[in-house]
Amino acid sequence: MSMEDYDYLFKIVLIGNAGVGKTCLVRRFTQGLFPPGQGATIGVDFMIKTVEIKGEKVKLQIWDTAGQERFRSITQSYYRSANALILTYDITCEDSFRCLPEWLREIEQYANNQVVTILVGNKIDLAEKREVLRQRAEDFAVAQSMLYLETSAKESDNVEKLFLDLACELIREAKQNKLDNSDTAPMPGEGKTISYLSCCSLN
Amino acid sequence: MAAEDLPSEFDVVILGTGLAESVVAAAFSRVGQRVLHVDRRSYYAGDWASFTFNGLLSWIQEQHVSTSLLEEGEELICLSNSDSGSIRNVQVFCFTRWITDCFVTQASQTQGEEPEADRSQSEPAKKKINYAQLVKEGRRFNIDLVSKLMYSRGSLVDLLIKSNVSRYAEFKNITRILTYRHGNVEQVPCSRADVFASRQLSVVEKRKLMRFLTSCMEETEEQRAYKGRPYLEFLSDQQLGDNLQHFLLHSIAMVTEDTPTEEGLASTRHFLHCLGRYGNTPFLFPVYGLGEIPQCFCRMCAVFGGIYCLRHSVSCLLVDKESNRCKAVIDSRGQRISCSHFVVEECYVPANQKKVATPSRFVSRAVLITDSSVLHSDSEQQVSLVTVPPIAAGCPAVRMVELCPSTMTCMPGTYLVHLTCQSVGSAYEDLSPVVTRMFRTPESHDRENCPSVLWCLYFNMADGSGVEVEGHDLPSNVYVFSGPDGGLSHERAVRQAESIFNKVLPDEDFCPPAPNPEDIIYDGDTAASTGGEDEKQEKEGAGGEEKNEEGEAGEEEKKEEGRAGEEEQKEGAGEEIHEKEGAGDLAE
Repeated sequence: MSMEDYDYLFKIVLIGNAGVGKTCLVRRFTQGLFPPGQGATIGVDFMIKTVEIKGEKVKLQIWDTAGQERFRSITQSYYRSANALILTYDITCEDSFRCLPEWLREIEQYANNQVVTILVGNKIDLAEKREVLRQRAEDFAVAQSMLYLETSAKESDNVEKLFLDLACELIREAKQNKLDNSDTAPMPGEGKTISYLSCCSLN
Repeated sequence: MAAEDLPSEFDVVILGTGLAESVVAAAFSRVGQRVLHVDRRSYYAGDWASFTFNGLLSWIQEQHVSTSLLEEGEELICLSNSDSGSIRNVQVFCFTRWITDCFVTQASQTQGEEPEADRSQSEPAKKKINYAQLVKEGRRFNIDLVSKLMYSRGSLVDLLIKSNVSRYAEFKNITRILTYRHGNVEQVPCSRADVFASRQLSVVEKRKLMRFLTSCMEETEEQRAYKGRPYLEFLSDQQLGDNLQHFLLHSIAMVTEDTPTEEGLASTRHFLHCLGRYGNTPFLFPVYGLGEIPQCFCRMCAVFGGIYCLRHSVSCLLVDKESNRCKAVIDSRGQRISCSHFVVEECYVPANQKKVATPSRFVSRAVLITDSSVLHSDSEQQVSLVTVPPIAAGCPAVRMVELCPSTMTCMPGTYLVHLTCQSVGSAYEDLSPVVTRMFRTPESHDRENCPSVLWCLYFNMADGSGVEVEGHDLPSNVYVFSGPDGGLSHERAVRQAESIFNKVLPDEDFCPPAPNPEDIIYDGDTAASTGGEDEKQEKEGAGGEEKNEEGEAGEEEKKEEGRAGEEEQKEGAGEEIHEKEGAGDLAE
């Protein structure tokens, strides 16, 4: 199993209320499964999938909340060094949408300044039960300068697109960062778990 | 968010998210015990927590409530569920304004407990950082309540590697060991390379030091003869000279003048043993601060099914009269939750149930935000341990850790300095003499070459090593953990967790390696997985809930992890390299 044959490695972290379908999104994307076998999530830290974008191999490490969101007890360390956040709500659950500002506060507190955040409205297969209008979510996303996408983990709608779009955005930022060499970026190879600069230096 | 009810049956309920509680939570959960882990606070890690600048200000406010009512000569005994009384004598000083216009008199320093918020905010921002900037950039700070380092071959690092919890954190090396001597800060040469490169040592001293360091690794007749006599005596009989004796006693062994020889030698050996595993000093520090470590263990616990609930507590225990065992707990919402074992942080135990009601010892702590390093060097990004021997007879030895912005614990342009010592008086009494000697403050404004203190905090914290964890009047399946101790290492907390785990589950492995996510095969959905794109899914999942992928790579890794050797960093899978990257890189 050769692990190092990729050009980029990104850490993507999922957040959002319990039951909005975070795990389903990951499992659908990484394994093409729905619904995910519940038992197997025990002991699973993150999932990995390598995708190819414009000839470059991108390894995505996708982290789930391990259930700590159930009682709003996510560790700060969960947000550290994430390159991207997928903030998920359920379009059939107004409450999961109303909690978004709370999640944004956590992001603001603990996540990296440069983190890419995408808002995802999941469960569009349940259109007849929709409680949150698309326009409303889009407006909210724009106001918070997030990307926005609606998905169905069940029907596999937009799931690939979600992760591929994120990967493209992350590559773009990584290239930009290299050019800028901004001082907010972590020191090369120093204490950074997944740094753009270190991908190539792995043996 | 909807207030969901907790499940009502667990194997282990744990109250408090300090390091020892979090380690034991991960250990229980890892071997399949159903764990409920709660903390009444809104943040993780209790007295082990780290805070943003603003978070720290709120924490100070909270402490203020109890400590401000305390008068001279009085003591606080807290009842259960109110604040524990593990913190006292909180004092805050803000000097940003004084620094911006340096001529100002002492009047500008607040001797009270309030930061000088309103006054400093109006200050013109010259080059110096003002209070408003500290607040604005507050989230860049991660200020630990406890100041410790990780010995690179200590039990915490071994446990992080063994359990794979290391994948949740990133580490940096302590880059230099410094000491304060004759009014100056000097670098202590500790590795072979340092010794040879040192400019402050003569050739003769270099030779003597190398000979000593080599010879002390093995126990000799001569050493045995000094058993029970002070290490200082042993050292001075080695004819090492003042320089070397100082380095060896205060910075390498880090003991006092009357520590017995066998103890001094043991800590010298431990220091040397840890050298070179990851770098030129024996220590690592987690990026974002020590408060990350308990959280990492909590994550491991959650990954294996542990349930987490902050802002939640346990109000009573239901004890079976006959067996004197705790059968269930009542949580702060009045729900009955049954459990076979209950683990609790000492501060939650009500005073009347304890053998000794109040902590017998305290640690004095100071936290400074400064504008430069105590010892300039080519690199701005140094992480230093500074040993400060007692500045006068009867004063405690002070340990200082200076963190640079690349540790993600302070904003660019500042350094975060932690001072720690065993309490003799209040934290201010114990530590401010050292601060005014080594830094520029309104009281020491003539020290123009020293770093200026922008903001500082003093407080005392109960010393966990002075806290009784056994012998309380409690049911037999209730286990008590003490809070953080004043020592440099994490040994005590890890040992406590391990010993309680072994008591409860003597036949289970303590924190066996968690499987590498890349090696897990998923089962149960085989029918749906026919279209699996990833080559990994091609393998049909058999039996158990997870399996290591067959094949050489997987097997080899497991063996290496078992031995917890450094080879893991070089030969482990991609993820592992990343986890320990900071350390790994520095090992070069």
